[in-house]
Amino acid sequence: MEKSEKAISQTKVLAEVIVFAALSAGLYAIRPYSLPYGGSITLGSMVPVMWLALRRGVIAGFIAGAIFGLIALPIDIMLLPYSPITNPIQVFLEYPIAFGALGLAGIIHRRSVAFAIVGVGISIFVKFLLHVIAGVIFWAWSIPQEWNPVVYAIVYNGSFLLPEFIISAILMYILVKKKTLEYAL
Amino acid sequence: MSVFSGLKFRKVYSPIHNLDPRIKFIYVCSIFAVAIMFGELLPLMALFLLQIPFVVVAGVKREWLRSMRGAAFLATFIFLTNFIASYIGAGYVFTAKILETAVAMTLRFIVLVESFSVFFLTTSPDHLGLALEQTHVPYEFVFAFTTAVRFVPVLAEEAETIMDAQKARGLELERGNFLKRIRNYIPVLIPLIVSAIRRSLELAEAMESRAWGATKKRTNLYTLKVHRGDVVLIALTALTLVAAVYARLYLPVPSLSELLKIPS
Repeated sequence: MEKSEKAISQTKVLAEVIVFAALSAGLYAIRPYSLPYGGSITLGSMVPVMWLALRRGVIAGFIAGAIFGLIALPIDIMLLPYSPITNPIQVFLEYPIAFGALGLAGIIHRRSVAFAIVGVGISIFVKFLLHVIAGVIFWAWSIPQEWNPVVYAIVYNGSFLLPEFIISAILMYILVKKKTLEYAL
Repeated sequence: MSVFSGLKFRKVYSPIHNLDPRIKFIYVCSIFAVAIMFGELLPLMALFLLQIPFVVVAGVKREWLRSMRGAAFLATFIFLTNFIASYIGAGYVFTAKILETAVAMTLRFIVLVESFSVFFLTTSPDHLGLALEQTHVPYEFVFAFTTAVRFVPVLAEEAETIMDAQKARGLELERGNFLKRIRNYIPVLIPLIVSAIRRSLELAEAMESRAWGATKKRTNLYTLKVHRGDVVLIALTALTLVAAVYARLYLPVPSLSELLKIPS
């Protein structure tokens, strides 16, 4: 029985999802700087997942991001001085969902430099919003009394997501410009 | 990669490896919960010692020691930050209590690393996947997750190899300003992505040659059943949890310095 062309390309996409989620997780563990309750600047660990989202679309990107998040959780638990967990819902929101949001980089599915950077911006902004929401609802106990929780969550999460955004945007700019997205499509 | 050596799996058979991964997972989660509950030294020491028999019975001492050594650096860091922060907070007075709290915080971290590395060292990705599959998670996700977990140490190793290779060719990753450093990272990232794509093509070929997705309903050669060892473990877990909750609610947990009558 002959298998259709579509099924084969689906297998290819699934294989790419697996390998790029793993690549992101591998880069996630090599980190120069991290915050006590989770969140860290890494060597562009989000780039492979966002690159995959640009190449294969939002859904593939979302699944890869969610897998990346699920592997990032044990890595965080082992590397961070404090537990990154306060609540089961918070874990779900901050790991599979927030990391899956990186897949939104492929929302404008066109392989040009400007759209790629907009995509990177959108996906990291949604991730940022999700972390802020989780921060206000679930991390309120760790916020110092004299701070407004919303401001604190924005500053805390912004402090690592903004540099991460700059790093990812520059890397993505060069990657798209060098036409890596078309490699072995 | 000291962190990943704790995640790597070596195929051995022991009573611990044969335990049901679902129950082992519940056990790890409850150890985690208990460790979060206590900030005192004595219960954390008990938790630490509770895990040693598992390591010995499973025969993964060498790997376990390696992952502990990987955690040692961070543990020192945690100890120092806790110690210095509470030392300054107490108004530059050294007491046994400060030292004990810092040691307890460090030990809590070590207990968390310990329990997770015991879980990952004694549970093969296949076994974990089987457990997920039998809890009716769609097979595509299970396969993607377990395969990705397997690829993480391989790809991280490759990233380091490429970094070393490019450094040997004169690439300077640790010099220059912020922007220059990011640009210098490109000669590492592109080979990494290209090799990842090649790897994914190989993986797709392997999946195809094994007729991936040909049958909708999969059957398994092995199924998970609850054995006597699992019952023992679940009893132990329940006992630990109940004892911990009881101790937290009704018993004053003594600190070591009080027991040893050290004047504070």
